[in-house]
Amino acid sequence: MASEFELSRNITIGQYVPTASFIHRLDPRIKLLVFTILVLAIALNTSYLGNFLGLLLSIYLFWASKIPISYGLSGIKPAIPFIIILGLLQLIFQGSVFSGGTVFFQFGFILITSESIRLVIVSAIRFVEIILLSSVLTLSTSTTELTHAIQSLLSPLKKVKFPVHEISLIITIAIRFVPTFAIEMEKMMKAQASRGADFGSGEWWRIIQRTKDMFPIIIPLFTIALSRAEDLILAMESRCYTPGNERSAYSVYKALGRDYIVLIIGLILSSLLLFYPFPF
Amino acid sequence: MKGSLTVRNIVIAGVLGAIAILLGVTRIGYIPVPTAAGNATIMHIPAIIGGIMQGPVVGAIVGLIFGVSSFLNATVPLFKDPLVAILPRLFIGVIAWLVYVGIHKKSEYLAIGAAAFLGTLTNTALVLTMAVVRGYMAAGVAWTVAITSGIPEAIVGTIVTLAVVLAWKQIGKGKKSKISEDL
Repeated sequence: MASEFELSRNITIGQYVPTASFIHRLDPRIKLLVFTILVLAIALNTSYLGNFLGLLLSIYLFWASKIPISYGLSGIKPAIPFIIILGLLQLIFQGSVFSGGTVFFQFGFILITSESIRLVIVSAIRFVEIILLSSVLTLSTSTTELTHAIQSLLSPLKKVKFPVHEISLIITIAIRFVPTFAIEMEKMMKAQASRGADFGSGEWWRIIQRTKDMFPIIIPLFTIALSRAEDLILAMESRCYTPGNERSAYSVYKALGRDYIVLIIGLILSSLLLFYPFPF
Repeated sequence: MKGSLTVRNIVIAGVLGAIAILLGVTRIGYIPVPTAAGNATIMHIPAIIGGIMQGPVVGAIVGLIFGVSSFLNATVPLFKDPLVAILPRLFIGVIAWLVYVGIHKKSEYLAIGAAAFLGTLTNTALVLTMAVVRGYMAAGVAWTVAITSGIPEAIVGTIVTLAVVLAWKQIGKGKKSKISEDL
């Protein structure tokens, strides 16, 4: 029972596995850039062979970062039933939309073609690839490194008056407050439970009841968050924080030769996934 | 100063973003509804509140944080596609702000309620449209999801948003920082 309230333990945000591998030591800016390009390339590739290559690549990256593959698999496991159900639904209802290719089976409105089978298999593999890739990124890069990377990658946008520093400050505040609010929420759940409130024990089909149970948690959570925001606003203003001023960074990243090599390899692989006409 | 990023806008966007992430990672933001999409969600509510309270920029940023966090945490293939998980979420707060600004001279309560309701529907409609466009769902399935999870989402969203925004208007009277409105 008590384990239901231990929210802060389940938060894997900022989870970081220090293995000091090659991937860990890469410049975070390059890592983020290559990750973004690769994910886009994978999301747009619809061939079997291309996605198989992507899968091999993501497994290789896991191996190269020396992070136990179980970290990545733990993200996939709870999703398996969804993948199967969604796959079946796609198979049954999508045939008429993606009707190219050979027709294998037709009965009433059910139409299974080679194209709809491709859709099902490719979207399942794509899902596994993206889970593995994003785990490699977040497990091998600390959140500080990530926010710095975002800030410096977006810095060319300063030229068009895009508030890069402010955006990365917002992200930092958001990540910083997640554990704090988790602790607050835990306190509230325990306080409500000690008064006899009941969370999550109702039957799953009593949706209205279960939703109503959450109101005494969610509404105070927002008010606590907003009053904390008031404190933070006051603190920042009294220190004369002015948005939009020029600031220097505490840590300055310098891309080395190996970073450029990784960038070039990443670009080649992504353009291969995007533009190469795979035979299947 | 609704558009620009003042200290107030930065902090409120950050804090609401934190709530959006928290609701996602603790699974508290999910209302179990037996549909193909898995769950109805209340994680878009911070984006709506940000839009109503601090304008479209904050609404869009909170939506972006919600989108990225739902993309990174997703357990369904549908939301592992950035075009479905991130892009539609940018518009939640913007639409909520437009609706709020349009009505709030007539009735504050009605404006907040309508903004929350339409903001939620924006989320449902755009996400499902993208899902159909990207081929994860057939149009028929999408309509079922829209009705079975979209309507409860909209109702819950309206209640929570009304409660929070009205409570905040009370807190706001005793605002600690006196200068942030003038900057």
